[in-house]
Amino acid sequence: MKDKDVKKIVKDSYSEIAKKSGNGGSCGCCGSQSEIDIAKSIGYSDEEIATASEANLGLGCGNPTALANLNPGDIVLDLGSGAGFDAFLAAKKVGESGKVIGVDMTDEMIGKAREIAKRYGYKNVEFRLGDIDNLPIESESISVIISNCVINLAPDKLKVFKEAYRVLTKNGRMYVSDIVLLGKLSEEQKNNAELIAGCVGGAMLKDDYLKAITGAGFKYRILDEDTDISNRQYQGINLESLKVELYK
Amino acid sequence: MKKEMLDILCCPTCKGDLELEIKKEDEGEIIEGSFTCKKCNCTYSIDEGIPNLLPK
Repeated sequence: MKDKDVKKIVKDSYSEIAKKSGNGGSCGCCGSQSEIDIAKSIGYSDEEIATASEANLGLGCGNPTALANLNPGDIVLDLGSGAGFDAFLAAKKVGESGKVIGVDMTDEMIGKAREIAKRYGYKNVEFRLGDIDNLPIESESISVIISNCVINLAPDKLKVFKEAYRVLTKNGRMYVSDIVLLGKLSEEQKNNAELIAGCVGGAMLKDDYLKAITGAGFKYRILDEDTDISNRQYQGINLESLKVELYK
Repeated sequence: MKKEMLDILCCPTCKGDLELEIKKEDEGEIIEGSFTCKKCNCTYSIDEGIPNLLPK
């Protein structure tokens, strides 16, 4: 499948999810679990869920802001910010002297995130419509990048990591939670639109994913691997949620 | 978007600096406007406060 076709599938699907959200909609992969159950199962506290409940669409596979040890004043970039759940949690941690920028390629998600930011008076968070493999961000301007279950959706993951490397400062860090495969998918599975949008079809084998990270110039440290997510959310497909810290 | 966020933005296509044109502003926030890349001349709109910086 061509890269632009994959992007269209992802865009259309997440646009629908944004429109339906608030009515119990979530990604096709997660069965009957509620957004709150999913958020709890992947490491969000009750307090975090309550903080930005409208922005929690149950689409993550980890809690990168919890891994990131954010400090006041940090400039944070959220790759694939969706309705802004992680961005809002990060905004609380970086305080008024910090900034959070969310980038997402889906209009409806960015619109929803901005609406929530406005309603709750978040002054240090902004959202931009953009591509995570072609970031509209100055080189070496970001102290921490977070990304939650999004890079698997990008057709060119190496390019995403290269862009992340470019925009991070010398001492910058990146915290990724993402779905990686532990066994190969069939060609049919790889081309299945629902599986692509559901974070599986476009996922890479774990070893290849780690190679893309080092190929972009990063060093990494694996923080956690959640294999149980396969049974909880992915009907037993051989995959895991990988939490990894990247640094230059 | 707020003006102070401009310094960390760049053209997604060529990474050049962006020039901002404001059409509507509200309490320090740019509601409508556009960016033009000083290097490749691509333009990007700001609609309802959201910059559309998808690459051209």
